[in-house]
Amino acid sequence: MMDHASQLELQAFFDGELPENEAHDMANRLARESDAAALLTELRNTSKALKGFESDIKLPESREFFWSKIERDIARLEQAEPAVRAPEPLLARWRRLLVPASAFAALVLMVVVAARQWELPIGFGSGVRPAPVLETALADSGAFTYRDQSEGITLVWLSYPGEKGVADSGPADTLQ
Amino acid sequence: MRTKQLVASWLAGTAVATFLLGMTTPSAVAADLKLEAQLIWGTADAKSPDPNHKPVDPEVAKKLKTLPFKWANYFEVNRRQFVVPESGVRKEIMSKDCEIRVKNLGRAMVELALVGRGAPVGKITQALPKKELLVTGGNAPNFTAWFVVLKQAE
Repeated sequence: MMDHASQLELQAFFDGELPENEAHDMANRLARESDAAALLTELRNTSKALKGFESDIKLPESREFFWSKIERDIARLEQAEPAVRAPEPLLARWRRLLVPASAFAALVLMVVVAARQWELPIGFGSGVRPAPVLETALADSGAFTYRDQSEGITLVWLSYPGEKGVADSGPADTLQ
Repeated sequence: MRTKQLVASWLAGTAVATFLLGMTTPSAVAADLKLEAQLIWGTADAKSPDPNHKPVDPEVAKKLKTLPFKWANYFEVNRRQFVVPESGVRKEIMSKDCEIRVKNLGRAMVELALVGRGAPVGKITQALPKKELLVTGGNAPNFTAWFVVLKQAE
């Protein structure tokens, strides 16, 4: 039974790679050992089979042209690989953050200004105004308040006459 | 990563907006109130017997005519412009019988006190934003009326 080193040595013999003295020794051994001779026969048969298999494959083009195509494909794939992105400048990062932030701030500001301008009731201190607080010093006050939200006018009517004794004498028909 | 950027943008925007909002809130602006008071006489007559009277501003007249009164004409008897600092009080003589005291309560709130012939008549507390009118009034002889119109001066 041949060990692994002897098998490799036999394969080298078969390939004609052994020095002359070692090749002579291997030839003697082959003559003595049947399993070595059997392995050599197997190597020969395998080599023949492979040569025969390779001879059936025919390239439709020259060998140089075939390999040049492979080389071009490799080069093309290397170029197609994504390039490593350069680090983004700090200014660009800030701009990307500040542009939408500024837009949002401008939007909020516009809403606030519009609310103040048109007095939208959105809770900024404007909008529907509460009724005025009235304290009157008159005992029999016929005072009343009136509010026109659309016109922005608040009326507080007092029973105090402009000239005492004169207004009181006329009928209180000042309202329509 | 994209979500973080979006959230950061919104937070930054909110901060900027809050800052801008703070800059524009009434408490942040000058608290002084520049006011204008007018003593007005309302009548059905087209012409005032007093040559010193003149028709009120068209803008004020238009607003007064929206009130549920029968008077068609309004004449300006007197007009005063004055500034009231926040928490301050300003006294103005509108006529020999009519005096007003205006207190600036802040945030465009005013307290208007009317004094007739030296005696308090009434006190009104009301917000007075720009372009709004606070009108007080009462009967006057011959079915006419007096008004004190208070507004923020332009």
